[in-house]
Amino acid sequence: MIRKYIALLRMKYIEMLAYRLATFVWMTGAVTQPLITMFVWMNIHPEESESFVFYFMAVIFVERMTSAWDVWELDREIREGTFSNLLLRPLHPIHWAIAENVVYKWLFLVILVPVWAVGAAFWPALRPHMTGSQIGWFLLAVVLGAALRFLLSYSCGLLAFWVTKVAAVYGVIDVISLFLSGRIAPLELLPPRLREWSEWLPFRYMISFPIEIATGAADGGELVRGFAIAGGWMVVLTAALQWLWRAGMRKNQAVGG
Amino acid sequence: MRRYGRVFREFFRACLVEEMEYRSEFFGNVISSFFGIGMALLTIQIFFYQTDRLGGWTYGEVLVLLGVFNTLRGCIDFALRPNMPRLLEHVRRGTLDYVLTKPVDSMFYVSFRHLVFWRLIDVVLGFGVIGYGLYVERYVPSVADVLVFLVVMAASFLLIYSLWMMLMTTSFWVVRIDDLSFIFDSFFETARFPGSMYRGAVRMVITYILPAVLITNTPALALLGKWSAWAAFAALVVALLFLWIARRFWRFALRFYTGAGG
Repeated sequence: MIRKYIALLRMKYIEMLAYRLATFVWMTGAVTQPLITMFVWMNIHPEESESFVFYFMAVIFVERMTSAWDVWELDREIREGTFSNLLLRPLHPIHWAIAENVVYKWLFLVILVPVWAVGAAFWPALRPHMTGSQIGWFLLAVVLGAALRFLLSYSCGLLAFWVTKVAAVYGVIDVISLFLSGRIAPLELLPPRLREWSEWLPFRYMISFPIEIATGAADGGELVRGFAIAGGWMVVLTAALQWLWRAGMRKNQAVGG
Repeated sequence: MRRYGRVFREFFRACLVEEMEYRSEFFGNVISSFFGIGMALLTIQIFFYQTDRLGGWTYGEVLVLLGVFNTLRGCIDFALRPNMPRLLEHVRRGTLDYVLTKPVDSMFYVSFRHLVFWRLIDVVLGFGVIGYGLYVERYVPSVADVLVFLVVMAASFLLIYSLWMMLMTTSFWVVRIDDLSFIFDSFFETARFPGSMYRGAVRMVITYILPAVLITNTPALALLGKWSAWAAFAALVVALLFLWIARRFWRFALRFYTGAGG
């Protein structure tokens, strides 16, 4: 399995290099929305500018590290029928998607970490104050967030077996997540009702939760509770994915055979 | 000029007929437009949950600004965006020759041949939000306000058109146009909010270099009665200048095209 994965990763890496410009462009695009939002908040609470800078830079970082685009890939592949080719290969198609995610995130990491380091040298606001265990929990939360987002995206993508406009469905989910994952505002600034929703839905654990750990906003009991809820969603989404996969395969055979 | 009006009407009719064949799509699209504006309003709601001013603009004023933004974006999506990939195809396949032999101006043709009719919903919704913002603000625009608004709005159209045209023209050299329009979108997003909100270098860039702020803020301010004749005139001059540049750039690219395509 490990050997297979190394081969997969290498293939995906070569594929990515072929689209360097596109990768770069998507990266720039991902930066603007958090930056605009950051300016809005700095304008509303000028006295807290420093913490907003840190927060939204962290949003950019975590958002890139957890982002998943499998729904668009699956939507296209299933609609155009190329997905069947993937099924013929000896390895489950989900491994191709996982490998791709790993490669892209590795690239983002390699680019973003030095950028952050240089930035932190100039702006004290960007310097994180984390203890060793905090760093550990932060990294774990980022990996968990990436897994949650991947599972959600892939499950939605599988809906393409039944629904024609999956990307539109996911678009709605994505907009909801914009509010509840902490991209529009740090969750503590949301109206109480929305905040309550954000605690229980999976979106917070995709972006805001790791950042809360990094800033020290979530520790002790809150930390345990957060990981418990995120873990619960992990189980739910994994089960959903498996169920959708099986049902999708039946549907696919019924249509194709 | 009259002929171009007639040609445009013909494009409009052809696209409308095409669109009517997919009526079920139409409703889905209308819903997504409503959803989009609803989310934009909710975002502003969240900001104003914490404050009553954004860059010195009140809630009602920001709503008017959002309305102008939505209207302009609707116009881009209506006429310009659908044409971009097609120009790319023309250049790639060499079928641009056919366009060039047509008895209408090639720049006009490539920018307006394909219209996505349902996107006009965004324009309607935009005006709805403008109206609601004025209602919240309890401000009734005077005749002069509306006239200045129309002038600066026309200037904004010209500016956006020129920027998009330049972007489209790069398809003679750049292969992946999706990426380019994505960059434009992310920069245009800055125009959603008052320019006075931004700080430092970012403010300089979006005010003077890429006049995103000019495009939305001046029409909104005009409608709110906060205009100056001089600024309106300047906006118009800048817009015409950009149009001239876009036109020159298109001509230049065409020379390149015949040179390369043979």
